[in-house]
Amino acid sequence: MSDHSIFLGAVAYDPKVVTIWEGIRDYFRDAGVPLDFALFSNYERQVETLLRGHIDVAWNTPLAHVQVKLRTSGRSLSLGMRDTDCGFRSKIVVRKDAGLRRLADLRNVTLAVGSRDSVQARILPLYHLKKEGLDLVRQRLLKFDTDLGKHGDTGTSELDVLAALHDGRAQAGAVGDLVWATEQSAGRVDASKVEVLWTTPPFNHCMFDALPGLAPEKAAAFQRALFAMRWDHPAHRRLLELEGLREWVQPLEEGYQDLYAALESDLP
Amino acid sequence: MTTPGAASTGAVAIEGGDLPLGGGLLAVVRPALDLLEPGGVLAVLSLSPSVAQDLPAWCRLERHHYLGSEPLPDGRTRHLVERGRHSVPQGAREESISLPRRSGRLLSADLLAAVPMPGHADASTGFAPRGARVEPGGPVYPFSLLDRDRVAPPEVAQLYDQAVASQWDATRDIPWEKVKPLPPALEQALGQIMTFLAENELSALYVPSRFLPRIHPAYVEVAMFLASQLADEARHIDVFLKRARAGGGGLGISSVTTSQSLLSLLQLEDFTEAAFLLSVLGEGTFLDLLRYIERYAPDEPTAELTRRARLDEARHVHFGLAHTKHALSHDPTLYGRLEAAVRRRAATLSNAGGVPAPIQDSLTILAAGGNDPRSVARGHQAFRDLLETMHDQRVKRLLTGGFTPEQAQAISDLHTPNFM
Repeated sequence: MSDHSIFLGAVAYDPKVVTIWEGIRDYFRDAGVPLDFALFSNYERQVETLLRGHIDVAWNTPLAHVQVKLRTSGRSLSLGMRDTDCGFRSKIVVRKDAGLRRLADLRNVTLAVGSRDSVQARILPLYHLKKEGLDLVRQRLLKFDTDLGKHGDTGTSELDVLAALHDGRAQAGAVGDLVWATEQSAGRVDASKVEVLWTTPPFNHCMFDALPGLAPEKAAAFQRALFAMRWDHPAHRRLLELEGLREWVQPLEEGYQDLYAALESDLP
Repeated sequence: MTTPGAASTGAVAIEGGDLPLGGGLLAVVRPALDLLEPGGVLAVLSLSPSVAQDLPAWCRLERHHYLGSEPLPDGRTRHLVERGRHSVPQGAREESISLPRRSGRLLSADLLAAVPMPGHADASTGFAPRGARVEPGGPVYPFSLLDRDRVAPPEVAQLYDQAVASQWDATRDIPWEKVKPLPPALEQALGQIMTFLAENELSALYVPSRFLPRIHPAYVEVAMFLASQLADEARHIDVFLKRARAGGGGLGISSVTTSQSLLSLLQLEDFTEAAFLLSVLGEGTFLDLLRYIERYAPDEPTAELTRRARLDEARHVHFGLAHTKHALSHDPTLYGRLEAAVRRRAATLSNAGGVPAPIQDSLTILAAGGNDPRSVARGHQAFRDLLETMHDQRVKRLLTGGFTPEQAQAISDLHTPNFM
């Protein structure tokens, strides 16, 4: 394998990940930037592999990104993110028949939450609810710890939360705003049964991470090819759609502060 | 409210009532945003408190910009959404199309006149019907016939209208009850002729079908006409095979000459060459053959089915001629290419003698009304006259198509002895 090629890691949370990265690899090759990739079954292994220098770039969830930052004393390089990764929020969705008017009312009901490594469906909503005064030790939680290691990428636990709300196993639940909007947009949310009670402050999501020692020309080539992908180009669009974005954007480092704080905080 | 139809960068306001976003509001928000170009602003007037929670998230999902909200004195809230630049489609919506009714009928030809075909088509518009707005960034389809002047003669929609109005039923529309046993020689001759016709019509079914998926849907009337042509050929195959067996005679022989001739049609890669060789020369020659069979038909069912098939074939010839003539008028070098195609085909068939013997003999027996030697001479003369008629008519058709008398003569002489 040529030293010039960029070796990227991604987590195989879905079969489509193979299609995405084979497509992006071919696109990078055509753009004169040789790239290869390895797929991991979980983000913990991917982060370790990056930190040992076995891969050049890791396509990381916010949780993995923050872990890399912490392990490199903030020196790791952030190379880019999706347009969708900026301004993420979580929604506290409630059953309309539960009579919940404000966050304090949640203490009397069951709150459904997603996987414990899902930033949008567990970590940040619980962090913010705690900050808003909710006693999480006494809070009745319905936890959907599915697809652990995937950091909520599959969205399965968020759909579990919505299903629990619809069928009454929970009166409140936490989901990411994109899953909420997608499910509403597709007509899969019963607006007569559930609605949003509260929305968290914004946070940022996935990031391409690299070690500080990544050759500057590799980092520059990676960003040049990445940011040249275009939504109105048929071949690019197919890949962008699969990866859930319309354009890659410059990394925004602010937007992870709440997550750092949440990891310091004792959350159930 | 701005005028519907023209996309605008201005502002549009819609009334959302008390609809929640996930309870129907999107069905009015999305079409309203479609009226705006990127940067245009939509005001959503809403009585639903949940919209304030849901609209920003939906805007993020769809890459619109949620600009904020303000309460109105009447209790509603005005939410402002700026259309994002990645949200398409763009361009004006098709409208104000006026289609005439002719005695209550709505003709495809009038629709074509109202929504004309583009000179060149873009393969990335896929199966989007002509006139629809197409979101950019779609996949490129493998259509290769992208130029109107190579694909679509102006009269194609009229021919399609005629084709649809002229469909008939090989099961019901032939007086099958009138088929009676014929003398064995005549029955066998008829079986052979019907075998030959069905075999040739099979090629006429398969050859155009190869080009159908190459035609860009902007020229859908051509695809629709070809579909009618394929339905015609299917019916002809059906009716010829029924006639071969209805009298108990059964099928005859498929000759190598016929098989070679038809394979050379199936191998054509150019739509105009195929239309010329199959429809103008092949089916054109078949018109005379069918007229001959109709004239000497031993019974009414045979005469009726050949008459009906001939009327269909005349339409195919008309389309082939119109196609060739139209293409020739836009590309004078096509004369040479078509002549070369005829020569190439003739070269591959150079080992073929004349008309395949089984069909030659059967056409003779048919015209003679049997194998009585006293009548066969008359039948033989009729067959010779047929060959002459075919040649004369081919030359006439070629002259109509715009060929010079010398070209027409040469091309007709080179035409396959298999007729098709």
